[in-house]
Amino acid sequence: MREPLTKVLELFDVTKVFGATRAVDSASFAVRPGRICGLLGRNGAGKTTTLRMVNGIFLPDRGRIELFGGEPRAAARDRIGYLPEERGLYKKMKVFEQLLFFAEIKRRRPAEVRKSAQHWLSRLELAPLAQARLEELSKGNQQKVQLVAALLHEPELLILDEPLSGLDPVNVVLVRHILKDLARAGRAILLSTHQMGEAEKLVDEIVLIHEGRVVLAGDLEQIRRSTGQNTLHLGFEGDGLSLSHAPGVERASVQTCTAELTLAAGADPQRVLEYLVPRLRIRRFEVASPSLEEIFIERVGRETLVAEAAS
Amino acid sequence: MRMFAVFKREYFQVVRKKSFLILTVLMPFLLAGLMIVPAALAMKGLSGKRVAVVDATGALSHAIEEERHREASPAARGPAGFAIGERGRSAGPLELTIEYVPAPRDSETILRETLARLNEASRRNPQRVDGVLAIPSDALSNPAARMTYYTRTSADFMTQERLARLVNHALVRIRLTGRGLAANEIDGLLRSAPLESVAISSTGAKKKGGELNFLAAFVFILLLLLPMLIYGQEIMRGIVAEKTDRVVEILVSSMSAMELLAGKVLGLAAAGLTQVGVWLSMGAVAAGFAGAASAGAGFRPLDLINPRLMVFFLVFYVLGYLVYACIYAVGGAISNSDKEAQQVAAPLILVIMIPWILAMPMLQSPQSALAVTLSLVPIFTPITMFLRIVVSEPPAWQIALSILLSVITIYILFWITAKIFRVGILSYGKRPTIPELVKWLKLA
Repeated sequence: MREPLTKVLELFDVTKVFGATRAVDSASFAVRPGRICGLLGRNGAGKTTTLRMVNGIFLPDRGRIELFGGEPRAAARDRIGYLPEERGLYKKMKVFEQLLFFAEIKRRRPAEVRKSAQHWLSRLELAPLAQARLEELSKGNQQKVQLVAALLHEPELLILDEPLSGLDPVNVVLVRHILKDLARAGRAILLSTHQMGEAEKLVDEIVLIHEGRVVLAGDLEQIRRSTGQNTLHLGFEGDGLSLSHAPGVERASVQTCTAELTLAAGADPQRVLEYLVPRLRIRRFEVASPSLEEIFIERVGRETLVAEAAS
Repeated sequence: MRMFAVFKREYFQVVRKKSFLILTVLMPFLLAGLMIVPAALAMKGLSGKRVAVVDATGALSHAIEEERHREASPAARGPAGFAIGERGRSAGPLELTIEYVPAPRDSETILRETLARLNEASRRNPQRVDGVLAIPSDALSNPAARMTYYTRTSADFMTQERLARLVNHALVRIRLTGRGLAANEIDGLLRSAPLESVAISSTGAKKKGGELNFLAAFVFILLLLLPMLIYGQEIMRGIVAEKTDRVVEILVSSMSAMELLAGKVLGLAAAGLTQVGVWLSMGAVAAGFAGAASAGAGFRPLDLINPRLMVFFLVFYVLGYLVYACIYAVGGAISNSDKEAQQVAAPLILVIMIPWILAMPMLQSPQSALAVTLSLVPIFTPITMFLRIVVSEPPAWQIALSILLSVITIYILFWITAKIFRVGILSYGKRPTIPELVKWLKLA
């Protein structure tokens, strides 16, 4: 009997340099069983490079990656499932056949996984497409097939690079349920995404990476709590332009009829409400922690957005 | 097991394709067509030839007539004899109509008029001729006299040669008659001995059918070459596709580069072998029928599909295939698109074709320095050595050495390929330069 691991994957000061750019710079974090860890960052932040190193596709220039408490890479391979960014499937191959192949290279006999392949296909509403060639499927369906290919061999660690890209809202919910179920069953999941709204509903932990560096890592709830109740979540009707001029508002991100206002230290939410009432019709008014998107922008997007506002 | 999964996938991916089925079934017919059609066309080209012989001596009419009869008679020419004279009544397919034009006087004018008939457009016009042979008036007296053959196409050397032989025989006949020899004596003097080629093996056994060996050699080269070209390219295309589809990320993170490469290369080798196997059995069946049909004519095509040759074919097929598969795999690993890969492959195809280009001289002298050297150079070994084995009996040490060298080369190539493959397969972006490749080798 194997002792239960506390950490399925751990990175120690991992660095990868491509030419003059440090794609990943001294990154350290861990992924635990039963937890979904979101690797967040802007395009080109180093998410994919990190995931490729974890998969042994790239070797880190410096630092160490420990899998399953120090198991050699060759033995760890079969215990990992990987969904690469965009597509990692054979276009000309039939869906079902393809799934059996990807399980077989993880040393699972086709006969063993046939049943569970059928189960996953029907759960993802793909059963009628089992005998279709991959290229005949829509982008979203291809992505779902890809997900099945990654998890069919029941890996203990699931590495998903942008698993939600190309999925419609219904499929997003479907996949979210599946991933949550897998985590509940004790699997560790490391996924990358830049869709903060989705990540917020999905992940337990975040690793925020910016220009190759980990700028924030930890339990999502704790992080939100530590930032304090400094954010106003608004629903309104009318012209939202005036929102950024409200007293004590440090920054406002305004959508058509919702807004998220970051309050300056010591600002009183009541004063803001008083200012807004004569100007807008208020549908919702909530004082809470900032959303993941706000945390994200606060940490990594400030300069860009300020520069754009100034231009 | 991982390797086996890749092997299986590659094999079935190819074998299940419609193009594979079509090529497998049609190739033998294509090949047969390729050999039979030109021959048939050439014969057809000869059959309709009409030639005018303008004789300035005016004395050869009878002698040429006699030669025509001698050529047409089965006793002189064997079963596939020529027929000269009226069309349609001929025994053989090669027809040559000779129109004798005596011109002891005004030979210049007559020649000019006859030459004009060369340009007659309609094939149906009996006035039209395909060639004009001019015999000078001093042909019988002057040893240095030259005949001239006029034609629209200078390439028809077969007709030209036949005509020259025929008229020369006629000239000799007249000259000998001038010395007082009787007609039947002349016949005896002019009769040439038929030639038969016999290859002697080291064991002393004789085998017939030199031309058939020649033909078989070419067919075998094609059977070796085609799969190399087809499946080598297939490996390259497959790798490029896996790169663009990112499948390679999953593959590389699931197994070692060696396992992946071996699975791919062997899977496609098996596909190629399946195809060649089908071709050979179709060939054997066809040869069996042909053998039964032509047993009387003295050659047995089944001799060419003997077990010893088949074993060598298998050995050299595998060796040749593996050498090129490795090189193609590197080509695929360092390319990012089919287009780039084609550029890499182009010089490679030229290299593969070198033995094909040199096949003629090597077939004619399989023990020459050129043939021996090429057959010991690993990238050329498979085709050249096998070719030598088909038409001659190379020393055993040379065969052994060539196989040994090939195996060593494949071993080294496989190792290099796996390394380049490991790094190159993941390098999206620009194609690496040679120094970069060397760096990869050290790195991986």
